[in-house]
Amino acid sequence: MTETVSTPQATMAAPPRRRNRMGAQEARMAFIFLLPSLLGFIAFMLFPIVASLAISFTNWQLISAPSFIGFANYQRLFTLDPAFFTVLGNTLFFTAEYLVLNIVVSLGLAVWISSLKRGHRWFRVIFFLPTFTPSIAASVVWLLIFTPGGFMDTVFQTLSLQVPNLLLDPKLAMQAVIIVTLWANVGYNMVLFNAALDLVPQSYLEAAKIDGANAWDRFWKIRLPLISPTVFFGTVMTAITSLQVFDQIYVVTRGGPGSATATLGFAIYQNGFGNYQMGYASALAWVMFLIIMALTALQFWLQRKWVHYDS
Amino acid sequence: MKTTAMLAAAALLGAALAGPAMAQDQPVTITWQMWGSDENDIAAWQHLADMVTEAHPEITVELQTTPWNDYWTKLPVLAASGQLADIVAMQSLRMPNFYSLLEPLDDRIEADGFDIDAFDASIIGGMSHDGVVYGLPYDVGPWMMFYNKDKFEEAGLALPQPGWTLDEFKQAAVALTKDGGFGFGVVPNGYSIFAAALGADYINDEGQLDLTSTSALAAADEFLGLVTQEKVAPLVASGANPGDVIAGRFESGNIAMMVDGPWSLISKRDTVQFEMGLAPLPRGEGDLRAVTAGSGFGISASSQNKDAAWKAIQVITGPEALKYLAEAGRALPARKAEQTYWFDVAAAGVEGAREALEYSLSHSATYEITNNWNAVENLFTQYYPLAMTGSQTPEETMQTIQSLAQSQ
Repeated sequence: MTETVSTPQATMAAPPRRRNRMGAQEARMAFIFLLPSLLGFIAFMLFPIVASLAISFTNWQLISAPSFIGFANYQRLFTLDPAFFTVLGNTLFFTAEYLVLNIVVSLGLAVWISSLKRGHRWFRVIFFLPTFTPSIAASVVWLLIFTPGGFMDTVFQTLSLQVPNLLLDPKLAMQAVIIVTLWANVGYNMVLFNAALDLVPQSYLEAAKIDGANAWDRFWKIRLPLISPTVFFGTVMTAITSLQVFDQIYVVTRGGPGSATATLGFAIYQNGFGNYQMGYASALAWVMFLIIMALTALQFWLQRKWVHYDS
Repeated sequence: MKTTAMLAAAALLGAALAGPAMAQDQPVTITWQMWGSDENDIAAWQHLADMVTEAHPEITVELQTTPWNDYWTKLPVLAASGQLADIVAMQSLRMPNFYSLLEPLDDRIEADGFDIDAFDASIIGGMSHDGVVYGLPYDVGPWMMFYNKDKFEEAGLALPQPGWTLDEFKQAAVALTKDGGFGFGVVPNGYSIFAAALGADYINDEGQLDLTSTSALAAADEFLGLVTQEKVAPLVASGANPGDVIAGRFESGNIAMMVDGPWSLISKRDTVQFEMGLAPLPRGEGDLRAVTAGSGFGISASSQNKDAAWKAIQVITGPEALKYLAEAGRALPARKAEQTYWFDVAAAGVEGAREALEYSLSHSATYEITNNWNAVENLFTQYYPLAMTGSQTPEETMQTIQSLAQSQ
């Protein structure tokens, strides 16, 4: 008894050097364990990011030496490039429509699956399967389905429906990309939301049922607020990745027809690797980074009102 | 002690004598980057790589192939990261863009007394920049019209003859567009070939792109009209490579005519189930202007094995190699003496091949391009579908492409 009382006293009375040394030792151990990951981060993320910032101030065209041109790339981006604002508009349009559809569909699927009495594990796997497929492979298959004269056209022709081909109409081409992206990614958020829904205590729902709340009320007033941290996470991550969309655009539409589906990610690739203008592409990449940061900051600010944490 | 000393002396003597000889036969492996499409294609190039080792046993050539479109994306990236292969394949149309990556060959040609005149003069010009030769060519060829002979005979049409006009072409295409099949396949970046054949000028005297000139716009109207007005060609979207789509549809018998070059015979010959014919491109009011292009091999300026690479490219553009490529249908040789093998062997079953080729070569014209031709071709692929579906007029599409190409 006296030992346990005296030991903390003894350590407290001991010179502070001891605690610092232990703290320093622990910190050193932690640093050594983190070192591989840190080295990887520095080599493959930090260094390229800083290099990209440096390149954005040059006019590097890959086969010639780069030369410093100051803010000319950024100036060109905002004032001279006829395509930039179209590209920006396309990206924001895609993100807005895709984000809303993704969250609604995945939430709906999650709620439906959690209400099933049997087979909910199977359905979870089935809807999650598309997320395993590499997005390029999935896009190639969807391209074959959407291509003029392809599967979709044949099906509509046999049903005698006059549906315009999505890939040829500049107003509808983005919908084709959205369909592909939804198919590939809905499963991920669905599993996330489903897991969160399963954590909602049954006692709350039963109490609400006794008090006369119907299913709709139970969802909006109890389940949704309780899973709102997860929904917030899903929304932020989906927004970030949808602003960077590239694979589907590259395979299915190549930014066309015209510039109907040219997004920021695709414009960066086209300028950097198609037209060999690395400096300009790097400037575009940094503008994209700032836009994503701004959108994420906005979402974090909105969470104060919309997200309910337990504490 | 004495025997050891004598043995040591003998060893040293042997090494000294063998030294220079060994240095010459030092085995070296050089890399060769080339575009390749299907297995037949890649096998043909591998055969050439093996021919180098047969001629020079100390040289092993490691072939690295990439699909055509990706090759031009990879090339500057490989150059920027210092990973170019020793032998670099180059096309005449892209030489103005990439000559700085290659080693000038004039000194080596003079020093070895290499007979550069055995090659077709136009493609030597294509492989040069500012009068300096940067690569040895392996092929040259005009774009021509491949057609489905069976379909022509079924429709009771006269086969295309050299010197046929645009109107005759359109009549044939209309007659062949029936039962879900099409008469022709429009590939967006084939505009420049079509326009040149009709005598249109899409590049002005200063060498700059001028897609809005009267003749260029008229050619665009004709070209796009095949899809929108005469409806003899299918719509192509901007996603999948339109060239591959049209080639696939031609080979499966869905399209009756398509524009391609002698280098594609190797792929077509084995896949088509019908009789093929070749005709030169249709001409406009005046004479045909058949643009030609060709490709060859250069030595990368940063190579560590330039001497071995020089020996290797002499073999792979040598008479035996080009005879092999000609008979396989992969290339119309850049060497004048070997061109006959393409006619006699590869194109033996193809109707009108010799006449079409000779007519096109005798009406050949320089292929006018700009320094950013890669970007221009991408723009054609991206924006032409808008005109093909009628969302924009050909004039608006050409103006858009013109302004975007200039801003780069």
